[in-house]
Amino acid sequence: MSLRRGLAGGASGILLLLLLWGDDPRELARRARTLTRSAGTELAVRRLHGSATARDRQFFAFLESTRRRLPPATAGVAIVGVAASDAAVYLATYQLAPTPVLLAPLRVPPGWLLAVYGSARPEGWRVIAPVWGGALLAPA
Amino acid sequence: MTEGLWSPLAEVAAVLLASGAFGYGVAGAFLSVAAGRTERAAWGLGVGLALLAASVPLAFAAGRPPREMAVLLFATAAAAAWILHRYRREGRGAGRDTGGVRALLTPSSVLLLLLLIAFGVAVFALRALTEPMWSNDYLAIWGFKGKTLFGAGGVPGRLFTDPALGFSHPEYPLGLPFLFAALSFLLGRWDDHAMALLFPFLQVATLFALFGWLRRRGVARTVALSAAALLANFSPLYSAFLTGMADIPQAFVSLLFGTALVDALDQLDAFAVRRLALASALAVSIKNEGALLAAAGFLLCLVPRGWARAASRRAAAAVAAPTVLFLLAGRLWKGNPPLRDFDFGLLGPTLVLELLPRVAEAIHVAFREVILPSWPGLLCVVVLLAAGRPTPAGDRLVLLALLCALAYLLAPAIAVLGPDWLIRTSFARTVSALAPLAAAGIALRLRSLKAGAKGGDPERTAGG
Repeated sequence: MSLRRGLAGGASGILLLLLLWGDDPRELARRARTLTRSAGTELAVRRLHGSATARDRQFFAFLESTRRRLPPATAGVAIVGVAASDAAVYLATYQLAPTPVLLAPLRVPPGWLLAVYGSARPEGWRVIAPVWGGALLAPA
Repeated sequence: MTEGLWSPLAEVAAVLLASGAFGYGVAGAFLSVAAGRTERAAWGLGVGLALLAASVPLAFAAGRPPREMAVLLFATAAAAAWILHRYRREGRGAGRDTGGVRALLTPSSVLLLLLLIAFGVAVFALRALTEPMWSNDYLAIWGFKGKTLFGAGGVPGRLFTDPALGFSHPEYPLGLPFLFAALSFLLGRWDDHAMALLFPFLQVATLFALFGWLRRRGVARTVALSAAALLANFSPLYSAFLTGMADIPQAFVSLLFGTALVDALDQLDAFAVRRLALASALAVSIKNEGALLAAAGFLLCLVPRGWARAASRRAAAAVAAPTVLFLLAGRLWKGNPPLRDFDFGLLGPTLVLELLPRVAEAIHVAFREVILPSWPGLLCVVVLLAAGRPTPAGDRLVLLALLCALAYLLAPAIAVLGPDWLIRTSFARTVSALAPLAAAGIALRLRSLKAGAKGGDPERTAGG
């Protein structure tokens, strides 16, 4: 075997070992267990228990509940009661898409609904549907 | 009624397999008869997914249901494939490069390599499918746009104009969101868990493209399988985090682009220029990095003495025409949303003194955060490069990957939020998407070990 071929074989082998070294069998086993255990559940439940909602799973439950209670052709939803962090904005915008969403806006655009996360009920708004962890409101 | 994962997963698998099957037929228009089944299957999935994604904007433009448009496109594709099959002049263009070395390893090693590939694919499938797609960029960009296209049944103008959606990068291409939407229209619902299966499919297609192309280029089976085994287990790219993002599709398309480019420059077969034009269109439809890849490919067509060669001029045109066309079409459609992450004012003469320290910072952070922590693996790559022998096609692929990596390293110097931020958030991810391209180039350089020792350059036999 030539030196070049030996070098190529050795470097390939080491590179492969380095790559395989990153595969933690415990992580893979955990993933397999999670997959088999959760596969029979509803999609929203799988999302609820996933990484995207890890910061605040209650907030995801609120969003999903809001999504299910939105009247058809809702112009948009303003969400209050949660800080407009990047993670919260991304999750809310995605979860309620294609309905436009604003988090903690200074003003609610005309024709939009208000989704309140928490127990506060702003004046001038009436509850049109209770949702998990809050309420969906329309102008009074 | 509660619907679990398995049934939607089977539906997504059926759609992807059907797309690949229709694409396989059409891929005959882009590959010579010398191409093997694996390479054709890879191009077939690329073509099938492109047709699927294209069905959505076409349906919106025509005012037809997207599902109907997808069926129409695939029926047209099937008819075209049948006609091609009947009338194609078999054997046109030799295509297969006959240089190469004997198998470096024994047949039992082939089995081991196949098992390693299967392991890599299984591990990535497990990571991709553990939970619904979840990374920030998936939620904020790719998934959000796809879900909006699907839910709205059109392309809402606010995707490009609403300042509140700036985080979703209106300037990014819509290829992947259209593909997500197309899958959803066929499924009849948005299922962001089952759709994750797309990414293991893209991984397998990338491995097929790599193996098939290397074999066509005369690389020994065990060397081609070794390259595929290393790539299959390359977890910086095939990770749970990148599932749902555009890097894995981009890695696949970059490989198609690079291999078509060197085939076209070597005039290996009469279809290479078509492949290159198709791959260029796909590259700019997925990520902005695709335009960078096309620019680097165009540059490679021109140097050295490129313009004097007809093959180089044809390849340059095959890269430039679809790239310019797609970029112009995107600009006409979306307006001119700025590249949100970059401040091009830093390239002007007044701020050039500020730019140089930022370049230094970008390089420093890249070394500290990405390059130094990965030094053992990078050293292996350097040894593999050194162990190979120069071959025009292999060198071009490696150079193409290096040019892109250099651009990813330097571009953060003009990042709005600073070089440190962009290097940390994107450098490792974007560079890892160049792995298939680099693997193809390195493996091709290794092909010539034995032949080169005899003093011959096998690629010259291919008319390069």
